[in-house]
Amino acid sequence: MSTASVRGHPRRALFLAVLAAVLAYFPAAHAAAPVRIGVLAFLGAEVALSTWSPLVAHLEAALPERRFVLVYYDVAGLRQAVQQQALDFVITNGGQYAALESEFGVSRIATLDSPGVPSPSQAIGSAVIARADRRDLNALADLKGKRVAAVGEDAFGGFQVAWREFRRQGVEPENFARLDFVGFPMPRIVTAVARNQADAGIVRACLLEELARDGAIRLADFKVLSPRRVEGFACGLSSGLYPDWPIATLRHTDLRLAKAVATALLSMPASPTGHAWTVPADYRTVHDLFRDLQIGPYAYLRETTLQALARRYWPFLLLFFAALAGWVVHTVRVEQQVHARTAALRDALAQRDAAEAGMRAHQEQFDHLSRLSILGELSGTLAHELNQPLATIANYAQSLVRRLDSGRYTPENLAEASREIAAQAERAGGIVHRIRAFARKRAAVRERRPLADLVREAATLFDGMLPNAPHIGIADRLPPGAQVEADTLQIEQVLLNLLKNAADAMQDLPSDTRVIDVTLEREGRNYQIAVRDHGAGLAPASTQHLFEPFFTTKPDGMGLGLSICKTIVEAHGGRLWAEANAGAPGMTFIFTLPADDLIP
Amino acid sequence: MTSSLDQALIHIVDDDAALRRSLVFLLDSVGWRTQAHASAEEFLAAYQPGVPGCLVLDIRMPGMSGLELQQVLRAQGRTLPIIFITGHGDVALAVQAMKQEACDFLEKPFKDQVLLDAVTQAVRRSARQLAAERRHDQAHALLERLSPREREVALRVAHGLPNKLIARELDISEKTVHVHRQHVMEKTHTGSAAELARLMLRADPADLD
Repeated sequence: MSTASVRGHPRRALFLAVLAAVLAYFPAAHAAAPVRIGVLAFLGAEVALSTWSPLVAHLEAALPERRFVLVYYDVAGLRQAVQQQALDFVITNGGQYAALESEFGVSRIATLDSPGVPSPSQAIGSAVIARADRRDLNALADLKGKRVAAVGEDAFGGFQVAWREFRRQGVEPENFARLDFVGFPMPRIVTAVARNQADAGIVRACLLEELARDGAIRLADFKVLSPRRVEGFACGLSSGLYPDWPIATLRHTDLRLAKAVATALLSMPASPTGHAWTVPADYRTVHDLFRDLQIGPYAYLRETTLQALARRYWPFLLLFFAALAGWVVHTVRVEQQVHARTAALRDALAQRDAAEAGMRAHQEQFDHLSRLSILGELSGTLAHELNQPLATIANYAQSLVRRLDSGRYTPENLAEASREIAAQAERAGGIVHRIRAFARKRAAVRERRPLADLVREAATLFDGMLPNAPHIGIADRLPPGAQVEADTLQIEQVLLNLLKNAADAMQDLPSDTRVIDVTLEREGRNYQIAVRDHGAGLAPASTQHLFEPFFTTKPDGMGLGLSICKTIVEAHGGRLWAEANAGAPGMTFIFTLPADDLIP
Repeated sequence: MTSSLDQALIHIVDDDAALRRSLVFLLDSVGWRTQAHASAEEFLAAYQPGVPGCLVLDIRMPGMSGLELQQVLRAQGRTLPIIFITGHGDVALAVQAMKQEACDFLEKPFKDQVLLDAVTQAVRRSARQLAAERRHDQAHALLERLSPREREVALRVAHGLPNKLIARELDISEKTVHVHRQHVMEKTHTGSAAELARLMLRADPADLD
């Protein structure tokens, strides 16, 4: 299938020749697009150029109105170019031609006529060679279990032609101990055989003779297996002979151009090496070969019965079954491992479940604990809160006594003082009640409450928590009467926590800038409560863990506050998250509670 | 209660309206004039110095805190005595307040008598301070009337130097010293070197060093 498989020296110096007759066939009108000739060039563009450029010169001399361009391809590239109709003519070996003929309907217009062959139809053959000293190797059948070297699977003279002979003698490539495709250049195969790297090699016929003529080898060192004698064929040969390289037109090629080119080629004189173009040969023998080998256009003929497959591919089947067995063993092992790991995983899951159950069980204690700890932190506030009404009551009561003693009183005085005393006693009682309710361990109770009231109560409770507590600004953007169904104390706990965090974040700021902004608004189906501080903010790494239990950035914190807050908010069907303030330092903690009108 | 304290005004600053009212009620029961303010800012806007009195101040308030108000007043040179009241006896706060010369520091709830005594004391102190300020201002005003040369002579007279020595120190004639001395006594309404010395001491104690 290579240029090298064409008999004779690769350099085909085709002579410039007679044009006049051709000119008569080809009018000057078609001077437009260049004529593209695709050439199979296994040995590279350079070799191909020196080989085929005289042909172009001849054609351009014969058809001066047209320009001819040679385009070089490998087998696959040439096939693709033909498929895409990127060419007007194609020059390739008999093997690929037969394939392209079947597949794309290319049509030969001339065949190369090489010297030293019986006819253009009998020009290409293979020689299977071995070292002359291998007495054990005489026929192709002797190569069973031996190492064989060839150019490539799709090489025509370099493999496929010999393959057919092997098959005729009952040998398949699978019967070789090894079949090495070594690629071009072909003399590599001769070298491999000479060095005993291969027992035998497949080369195109006449290669040995050419190498010997160039002094590269001694012909006596090698022998041709199953040698044949064909009248008029001068080289050692192991196979039948097949037609030489054709030049072919594609389906779309202009018929008059094809005729003109064909005429020019046929009228082209022989080159110094004796090459010329002659009438197209019969390529049926190539088709027969492909059909025998079930390759190329006849690949569909390949046997597909199980038995045939088994016979042909038993080494692969063996390999396959070995692989299968390996796979089964592997699968069983993996299965065992999966079992073991599943068990381990199940244990781990069970442990985690147990831990989670423990967590849940402790959740209420945590909850309670957290409330108490907030209560502790709030004790300053609570003392203040209680002291206010108590001091007020004391002031009024003592004043009354004093006034009664001094006679400095009026009924209005007395009534005012008494009313104040009663109101303040009630106020003190309310505070005590709130503390007790807050600190008491209790089951969750949901009640409908106006959200704004809830927030204001928490703010009041929080206010004064620290000496010099930050000012809390509440922006109430809720629709009128906005209610939530919530456990009031739990939500207050969340709010207290967030307010406390905000206050802690602003500890180092001057008092006039220590402001907590609480914004209440409706956000879709939820009410949203945002608590914004103006502190330094948190490192992004910290914000990721904010809501994890026992995470804290405070030296004396337990790290439970936000974790519990999140649990509480989520239990209410809301969400709690933190955002860094946009364009300003500090953080905003936001939580949502479902809007009341959406609760069935 | 002495008659000089009759015009005294007791300022009450507390954000808790009920407590504010109760303090007014209490102070009124013994006849104090009172003025109640809901915040430090409100007080600062309303305050008129020059009247004896005191400030009953909640230490913990939203906005400007009690301690901050105390600092503002000190910065303005106000001598109004301050009685702090607090909900929780925070030692650190008390120490800071007293360092800033608070008059008293009461923890709520307190006995009425304790507050009333503290107020009385504070008002007396305020009255004394006001009187001293007034005397100082008067003395200062009198001495302002002297010429620089008269001032030099007055200083030496107050130190008890005879005219002869003063003339030598200032390198002027004894007769001139005598004239200056007469002018000084007239302008400052003083009759003796001792009286002049007391006046100068009231105006600026450092002058006589």
